[in-house]
Amino acid sequence: MGTLPLEPSLLLVGTDFRCSPLEIRERVSCSSEEVEHALLHLLARPGVAEAYLLSTCNRTEVYLQPRDEDAAYQTVLDLIFLQKAPELEKPGRLYVKRNGEAAHHLLAVASGLESMVLGEPEILGQVKQSAALAEHVGSTGPVLRRLLRSALAAGARARQETAITAGAVSLGYAVVELARNIFSGLEECQVLLIGAGEIARSVARPLVERGAKELKVANRSAERARQFQEELPQAQLVPFEERLDAARTADVVVASTSAEEPILTRRQLKEAMVSRRNRPLLVVDLGVPRNVEPAAARIENLFLHTIDSLDLLIQKNLKRRKEEVPRVEEILDQELQHFRSWVRGLEAEPIIAQMQKQAERIRQHELEEVLSRFPAETHADLERLTRSLVRKILHHPSTRLRGRDGSRDISRLDLVRELFRLDDEKQPDDQSSG
Amino acid sequence: MTTFLATANLLLPLLYLATAIAYGFVFFAAHPGATRLATPALRLTVLFHLAYLAALASHHRQFPAATVSQALSIVAFAVAVVYAFVEWHGREKTTGFWMVSLVFFFQLLSSALTRPNPPDRAIFHDVFFATHVSLALLGYASFVVGAAYAFLFLQLYRDLKGGRFSTFYGKLPPLEVLEKMMIGALGVGFIALTAAVATGAFWAERLYHDAWLRDPKILITIATWVLYASALLLRRLQRWQGRQTALASLAGLGAILFSLVAVNFFLTGFHDFL
Repeated sequence: MGTLPLEPSLLLVGTDFRCSPLEIRERVSCSSEEVEHALLHLLARPGVAEAYLLSTCNRTEVYLQPRDEDAAYQTVLDLIFLQKAPELEKPGRLYVKRNGEAAHHLLAVASGLESMVLGEPEILGQVKQSAALAEHVGSTGPVLRRLLRSALAAGARARQETAITAGAVSLGYAVVELARNIFSGLEECQVLLIGAGEIARSVARPLVERGAKELKVANRSAERARQFQEELPQAQLVPFEERLDAARTADVVVASTSAEEPILTRRQLKEAMVSRRNRPLLVVDLGVPRNVEPAAARIENLFLHTIDSLDLLIQKNLKRRKEEVPRVEEILDQELQHFRSWVRGLEAEPIIAQMQKQAERIRQHELEEVLSRFPAETHADLERLTRSLVRKILHHPSTRLRGRDGSRDISRLDLVRELFRLDDEKQPDDQSSG
Repeated sequence: MTTFLATANLLLPLLYLATAIAYGFVFFAAHPGATRLATPALRLTVLFHLAYLAALASHHRQFPAATVSQALSIVAFAVAVVYAFVEWHGREKTTGFWMVSLVFFFQLLSSALTRPNPPDRAIFHDVFFATHVSLALLGYASFVVGAAYAFLFLQLYRDLKGGRFSTFYGKLPPLEVLEKMMIGALGVGFIALTAAVATGAFWAERLYHDAWLRDPKILITIATWVLYASALLLRRLQRWQGRQTALASLAGLGAILFSLVAVNFFLTGFHDFL
């Protein structure tokens, strides 16, 4: 009679941005087809019962429900990691986690706690997509499926119940956030970008993603502006000299040129404000040296922000996210508890089934012995009565064994086996009735 | 009935305080439990408040605006109803803390100033009086709501202008929405106050001839009316922006409080009933 484990049997092998540089991470990163292929190969190995592979730009992780842990570990190491990047053999490049620790890790990943940018929201979608892929391939069984359900629930709850994903933590989203605090809807906003460099691109993408109504780009070099438009076809090109006219109709102006002198002066912006009837205008100056005359900040209803104020906003949001970590950890603990209860229930199910079978055998045996002594019209009632008795007697022990009441003492399963002699395959009926 | 009125008078500020605390958790901590509880708590308190006002009217057999205390309670009730409607309509709970805190303040003042036996005069039974006072109190309640939005507007404006990102930043509706809510509330308040002044003038002319024009409350009310009329007109003409209108709205609230409380206690005139 073996002792049942307290933890689910799980194995995680992975590498992420903390352990490996991008050069290694990109080699072990897998496309959807490669993930599918890898999962099928893993499943074909005798040591692996279930498999799940998560591959993003910042991490590649394999979760297994192993039949033989050593064999499963070796398989993952060879097939997924060392074959593509032998440098991962160096200490500290890979992490290996087992059982409860592995389960907790997946929940933390889905909640954004393990992301490069704390609380990054995209990871939840990536976990979900990978889960769908594994389900499609058929590599997830009951344990990993249930673990993934807990991970997705933890991720969703972390987003809904805490501020772990709140606030912008990148330059582009900081501009989006500022615009959202001023205007009633980004979809009504016209955006003017002055400059078409890398910074302008990083700001333009989130604005377009979040539904900005119109995007105009004014750049000194027409060639560069065209390149910008190739990348973002929504953008309309405006001659650099007409930037002031464009500013009159825009709601958000982002300047990021390398000009030595301000390209927007206080006087010009004041005139623009008059012609736009003083409607609010957000001006973001990301140029160094500054592209917008600082005195423009004094104009009524014009909100001038620089790289410094945006950085301040990002730092504030990051601090706020860090403060939310303990609340997310609480959610992870709760979801992990549900998962563990489920695993315990899984271990208890065969024992409960055996108990019910044994009780039913006793009931039938006893009933057969006495039934002939009672009138035929009472047989149905006796049948119902004995069934009800058995069901009621077994209800409480079954519930306790499944651990739905939150109890954690798994050794009681062993005790039940011993008390009811459930491990004896052949139970003599006379003993049962005695 | 007397016991109920006395108990409700004590309970109402406490209930509004508890509701304001729940909304505080929504605003400062985005607490999920508080987010679920705050709205039902407000609605139940508003219902209880309605029962209190009805009991007050029934007990004294007159419109419950015979004293400053009763008027403040009606203003508190009207602000709570206006906010409950705005929240239901806009599905926006973040301003609740500030609105319900104001309601609590008005109700606390009302409970503190309450008198067991309000004066009983013939005019308190007059329908014309009830209409005039109801319009005035609806106007005041709307101006209070407008001032609350003005306060929030100015906080967010300052954060966005100075890049300071205080506690208010990120927790309020956008600046444009706050301004629309403020202007909307001021517009409703202005219409109600105009109607109240017109009905009051017509009625006072019949009762007091031209003596009513020297009453301090009337003078302050007319000054308040001019202030709001100017603010709304200048905003309409684009001469003023949201910030100036918000400042005028806060000044207007000061005038209303002065008119509602200070005039009754420190000055004399025919308007001593309210």
